[in-house]
Amino acid sequence: MYKTTGFISFVLRRFTGVALVIYLFIHMWVIGSAIQGPEVFDARLNTVQTPFFKLAEIALLAAVVYHAFDGIRLLIVHYFKVTEYRKSMFYAVFAISAILTIAGGIPILLFMLEG
Amino acid sequence: MAQQHDTALIRVQRFNPDVDKKPYFDEFQISLEHDPTLLDALQLIKTSMDGSVTFRKSCRHAICGSCAMNVNGRNILVCHQPVRKFLDRKGRVTIRPLPYLPIIKDLVVDRTAFWEQYLRVKPWLVPPDNIPEKEFRMTPAEVEALNNAETCIMCGACYSACSVIGLTKKYIGPHALLKSFLRVIDPRDTIPGERLADLTGTDGVARCHTIFNCIDACPKNLDPTKAIETLRQLSQKRQALEEARRERQKTLIV
Repeated sequence: MYKTTGFISFVLRRFTGVALVIYLFIHMWVIGSAIQGPEVFDARLNTVQTPFFKLAEIALLAAVVYHAFDGIRLLIVHYFKVTEYRKSMFYAVFAISAILTIAGGIPILLFMLEG
Repeated sequence: MAQQHDTALIRVQRFNPDVDKKPYFDEFQISLEHDPTLLDALQLIKTSMDGSVTFRKSCRHAICGSCAMNVNGRNILVCHQPVRKFLDRKGRVTIRPLPYLPIIKDLVVDRTAFWEQYLRVKPWLVPPDNIPEKEFRMTPAEVEALNNAETCIMCGACYSACSVIGLTKKYIGPHALLKSFLRVIDPRDTIPGERLADLTGTDGVARCHTIFNCIDACPKNLDPTKAIETLRQLSQKRQALEEARRERQKTLIV
């Protein structure tokens, strides 16, 4: 396997894309239960308030920001053909994604720890 | 500062499909006294240590493309790269054949798929019927727009580095798309629209996932990704390009 920053970006793009699709189905499963009545909806909501799902939310945040900013990077590459800056753009996307994940993940963790 | 080594351990991937079930590595110790290139090392191994080591080589100065191999995980031309540059801390370098291609023997790979995709894009110029007595009057800007694509030596380093090629040999590949770009952009070519039409299928420009391995691998510092992006954009304006080409060719020949 030919491993480069471009390959890592490609794999992460695929992985986060699949993860977001899976999340979408889980989200519909939770929200869709509202039509079954408040008891079912509350039960499903309680399920996704557990620590496991709180950590999964942070992972979801990471997937969303990475996929979004990598998508923006690709749009820039496609339309402005700036292949010269491909590595620095990848590192920038990774850094922005990490910063936003940490910034958003800390409140989620604090909320989880407060119980 | 990197540790200076007097000798190098060259790890060469071996595989004889007639005899071996799977590839394995042989190791050879060579002197670095005369600062050999990787090709020098392989030739030394072949002439004085193991004559059965098999590899391709020809010009020895990075113009024929025969000696493209995978060294420490990167596709390079071994003829003009010194061994010292690729040594790890233990003084070792690992040489494998180009990835994603069937191995004929040791470091020699089967390039059939590479050449088939190359021929698929009609890599030759299709000039106008009336050829000028002297030259076609291309402007410096038109030559610059080719982005040195004509310097491609067809070594296969980009093709073999492409992760999409690793997934499917149906993809045309960066080498052929770069050649197609060269012809589409060339004002002398009379069939740019036809070329672009051939590239818009599922195995053409849409298959590129912008991984950039081709740029990293190219020993001539060419940019197949940029060429593919240009083709993608032009393929959406085929008719306009053809009309512009017909107009341009009226003044191309004096």
